[in-house]
Amino acid sequence: MSQEPIKSDKIEKALALFKKRMNRQAVLSFGVCVHCGMCTETCHYYEATKDPKMAPAYKADKVRKIYKKHFDWTGKIIPSWVGARDIKTEDDLKELVDVVFGSCTMCRRCTFNCPMGVDKALIMRTMRGVLTELDLAPQGVKDVSRDQWTIGNQMGVSDEDYLETIEWLNDELKTELDDPSASLPLDVENCNMVYAINPREIKYAPMSLLAAGKIFHAAGESWTLPSKGWDNTNFGLFSGDNALGGHMGKLVFENVQRLKGKSLVCSECGHGYRATKWESPNWSGIILEQPIYNFLEIMVDYVKSGRIKLDKTKNTEPVTYHDPCNLARSGGITEEPRFLLRQSIMDFREMYPNRADNWCCSGGGGAMSMSEFSKRRLEVAKVKADQLKATGAKIVATACHNCVDALMDLIRHYKLDMKVALVGELVANALVMERKAIPVMPAYAADSFLSGFRILVTDDEPDMVAFISAVLGDHGAEILRASNGDEALSILRKEKPSMMTLDLSMPGKTGVEVYEEMKNDKFLKDIPVFIITGQPELRKLIYDGSYPPPNGYVDKPIDEEKLLLNVRKILNLQHEKT
Amino acid sequence: MDDFLKFLEDEIQIIALSIMGIVYILKVIWLLKFKPIIEKTPAKGNESVGIGYSFMTIAMPWSMESSSKKFHKYLEFVIFHLGVAAAITASLIIPYWPQVMENGMILAIFQTIIAAAFLVGMIRLIRRISSQVMRIISSRDDYFSIILLNVWLLSAFFAIPNKNYWMLVAFFALTAFFLIYVPFSKISHYLLWPFSRYYLGKTLGHRGVYPKKTGS
Repeated sequence: MSQEPIKSDKIEKALALFKKRMNRQAVLSFGVCVHCGMCTETCHYYEATKDPKMAPAYKADKVRKIYKKHFDWTGKIIPSWVGARDIKTEDDLKELVDVVFGSCTMCRRCTFNCPMGVDKALIMRTMRGVLTELDLAPQGVKDVSRDQWTIGNQMGVSDEDYLETIEWLNDELKTELDDPSASLPLDVENCNMVYAINPREIKYAPMSLLAAGKIFHAAGESWTLPSKGWDNTNFGLFSGDNALGGHMGKLVFENVQRLKGKSLVCSECGHGYRATKWESPNWSGIILEQPIYNFLEIMVDYVKSGRIKLDKTKNTEPVTYHDPCNLARSGGITEEPRFLLRQSIMDFREMYPNRADNWCCSGGGGAMSMSEFSKRRLEVAKVKADQLKATGAKIVATACHNCVDALMDLIRHYKLDMKVALVGELVANALVMERKAIPVMPAYAADSFLSGFRILVTDDEPDMVAFISAVLGDHGAEILRASNGDEALSILRKEKPSMMTLDLSMPGKTGVEVYEEMKNDKFLKDIPVFIITGQPELRKLIYDGSYPPPNGYVDKPIDEEKLLLNVRKILNLQHEKT
Repeated sequence: MDDFLKFLEDEIQIIALSIMGIVYILKVIWLLKFKPIIEKTPAKGNESVGIGYSFMTIAMPWSMESSSKKFHKYLEFVIFHLGVAAAITASLIIPYWPQVMENGMILAIFQTIIAAAFLVGMIRLIRRISSQVMRIISSRDDYFSIILLNVWLLSAFFAIPNKNYWMLVAFFALTAFFLIYVPFSKISHYLLWPFSRYYLGKTLGHRGVYPKKTGS
């Protein structure tokens, strides 16, 4: 006769936490499922793999079994009759990690297709919260959560970096608009709007913040960025940690109050908006008196009230729109981006299905931070890739930084001929300035603003070296070239360049090893490094390391404009007028 | 009618129904002990409209991809539940208004609906057994419930002409068993369904997600 394994403290704690997290909606979602299977084909994990274990009902049952064992009346007495099962071993906990973190993006598509109204995202998040409290969440989720708890933002951006970037973007804005009155105001009191952003806008995608600056300036808005509590993202939503969720919301709300702002506006971040506007008040009980808006809603208001004018002929390429799950299925925002796109582009192509029926980008629920599940994420992204391809569009617009990363990743993986843009970037590009003309992007002419700088370009692909060298060389940089890690280190030691671009995946010494070696070398450690990679998941190797993070990154295929903008930022250059 | 059948059709049913009612009341009290998640923020949409929409999805197969793309499954759902409703209604008509079933047209309607529901039930059972996905998500209760319902529908089909003694015994015995078993099985989903759809509709209505936008 087999003996039931003795429960460890961890398992006992897991069960206690699970019981503690039960609420009425969770009980209903656990209890009402009839296993009809209607949700099966609404999940991109199942659709892409046809693996029965990826069916939403099966995945939810992995958690539901525990509910049945401890809450269901029949399950307590005859567990096998209703599929009740306890957590028995630590392997069971590991399996739960794989299911709730690695096999579900909590996109809620299955919920919207469930006749019973089972909220499977709630089921998954309930168990995520338990596993997070047990310190079993994937490392990426733990790292980001730690940064939010300790530093106040999910990318560990220091106050100094934040302020420097704002200052640099401020100069960029003035130069680009050729208007000294244009600015990214910081900590201004009594403004109409306090603008909270995604740290990605500081670290890797400053163009979206620049776009917002242009739009606010064109509308003559009274707005400000806060110096603290500026991160609207919230990993509490993904980790299931309500305390973190409440904490992040509180940080943002406190700074709106400190600055006496009349409203809070969240930049284009799906989960950030959802968490800030809808969830964190529920978690913490702290409710901001001022209204909370999404930047999309603000832009719609500007267009409708005539505060900004748009010229759609500035965006001629066909564009489609991807609905971020947290906006479409949990945030009530589907029409605003479509209105804006129809006003600012020539050729808008709807993708099908759309709005609340749209497929997940495959990177939701914090999936982009969990590199251990990257392979599966990209495999199931095929559903999205096929959907994108069918539109024939050249640009996929979205309103979420997380979706941007996931879409770029799948576009690269499935070799689609597409670019990704935020709605605000396309709107900014279509802006008609009353006083001064805004240069249509790309704003950089072949001037020599990189003159005097020596840049080492490291990549094992000769075409890539040639391309990067041409772009940077055309702007006056002196280019040094290396085709492998050893050669790069040798040139670095000999030439001491102003900065280097570094490919991560190279034969022999990899980019990661080069980076580590540089950071351990007192003569090389201060040379700025700009990562350029076709395998974004490798970035984790560097960002998870104990070294300071690189100065920036861009994914392949390289967007020339992003490359130049980042190089400017890294070299701390003013944007010279073209 | 002999005393046993009368006892089975009447007193036993009332006892079984009372047990079911008591268990349901206890189950609802138990459910309400769990605190609900309350939307604390100002609403963007309308909660009442959201709740209404959430309930109405049952009658709007086009509102869910799962039912619009697989309309036959929606039809199966409708027929099966109509059949169950017809059999329940018959279990009340036969003891108290037996003359109703003497009308050939009414009897034919009831038997047609119940027969169709039985066929759908068999399709559902076969699907649960033959489909890999359905097998992997099914518990013993899932199989037992659908088999039992099919047997019950079959017995109802033969019992409602109110002529075959043993069919009537089988039908009412099964009905009594169901009334007691249902609260402890998945078949009681209809008790939780209104709560589940209510809270989903409330939240999504509050946030302006429901009614779902379909575009122009």
